[in-house]
Amino acid sequence: MIRTERIDLEPAFVLHSRRYRETSLLIEAFGHDSGRLAVVARGALRPKSRMRGLLQPFIPLLISWRGRGELATLTAAEAQGEIVPTQGSATLIGFYVNELLLHFLHRHDPEPDLFETYRRTLQRIALEEDPEPSLRIFEKRLLQATGYALQLEREAKSGARIVPDARYIYRPDSGPEPWDPRRHSGAGISGETLLALSEERLSKRDTLREAKQLMRRVIFAHSGEKTLISRNLWRRRRSSDAA
Amino acid sequence: MSASPLIARLVDALRCLPGVGPKTAQRMAFHLLERNRDAARELSKVLEEAMVRIGRCESCRTFSEDPRCPVCTARDRDPRLLCVVETPADMAAIESVTGYRGMFFVLMGHLSPLDGVGPAELGLDRFQKRIESEGIDEVVLATSSTVEGEATAHYLAEMVRERGIRATRIAQGVPMGGELEFVDGGTLARAITARRDVDV
Ligand SMILES: [Zn+2]
Repeated sequence: MIRTERIDLEPAFVLHSRRYRETSLLIEAFGHDSGRLAVVARGALRPKSRMRGLLQPFIPLLISWRGRGELATLTAAEAQGEIVPTQGSATLIGFYVNELLLHFLHRHDPEPDLFETYRRTLQRIALEEDPEPSLRIFEKRLLQATGYALQLEREAKSGARIVPDARYIYRPDSGPEPWDPRRHSGAGISGETLLALSEERLSKRDTLREAKQLMRRVIFAHSGEKTLISRNLWRRRRSSDAA
Repeated sequence: MSASPLIARLVDALRCLPGVGPKTAQRMAFHLLERNRDAARELSKVLEEAMVRIGRCESCRTFSEDPRCPVCTARDRDPRLLCVVETPADMAAIESVTGYRGMFFVLMGHLSPLDGVGPAELGLDRFQKRIESEGIDEVVLATSSTVEGEATAHYLAEMVRERGIRATRIAQGVPMGGELEFVDGGTLARAITARRDVDV
């Protein structure tokens, strides 16, 4: 059923925008209560538009919009609270986070918890020296919220508890199974990493590296085996890393 | 009114111009037919020739009918200074209102991974060759003051600094004649972050 909605002052972020007609923007936004939504900002590209500088990714906004069905119209936008200036590599990482959201979020699926996670993740990647732990936690919670939760505490088939000292092979569709050097290639993933990811305590170097490889494979499998373009932009910075 | 097929085609064709809707296109078509056929013939000739002959400058990537554009071949410019802009229009703007006399590199866009625009699409292999081979002292990053423009500037700055070359970013913040109350939050936040000492 199509109904006309009218939402006032909803906390939201712009995920992506592109030109729409002559002077308007078509914006994919992530709203606290609305989830992912598409809104048109009419006249936002006019030289004197006050919205222009505001309707950018990574700026916490309060947006008002109204509309029917798929495409809504933005009626107002204002900055909400402090703007953390995202600069440099934090911006490139932010693009990756936004690309992930656009891949996994469906329109109008409310995800208020994920919204909070996203907001905190943006702050962290802008401020923290090493963004990797925050990124992994975001990826994990994103998968969880969108129906692809990782299984990190028990083995897929037997249901046995994951043991820190054991090694496992992780199947994106089902979960961890005991790693068998005669049957499986590679080195598998340690139980310690699985448990650390489950408890969101990612500090050790080896744990981070394994968690990154795991997330990469799982996300690749669940995003239609499509490589996320923005991932490659900040990778060059640490070419020594097995990113 | 239903126009003849040829007039309809003309009106349709004129609508490819930015900001031209059906009404305006029809007014233009009648104007050219009624009072300005010579100018219209010239327009069609230049248009045809331009579309055939104008390509990209192999050095700065701006539009040019020669392999290298007039700016790149001028002898009175400073070859040690390279300014990176997003579009030929940005290059023209800097040329016409600033005293800048260095060289240019035109990206024809900015990094926008979600639209599939990465380093290759912006000709950054070409940019890399230039900064590695032309004895450049400073690269001025004049991409726009949007999130994508900033990210692009950052990416380029890393490339430039890795090669021991100075990278500078055009100043940004409150516009001339801008009253703070009316400046949007993003601009104001950036202006505060990028504050500088007052020259006395
Ligand atoms: Zn040129």
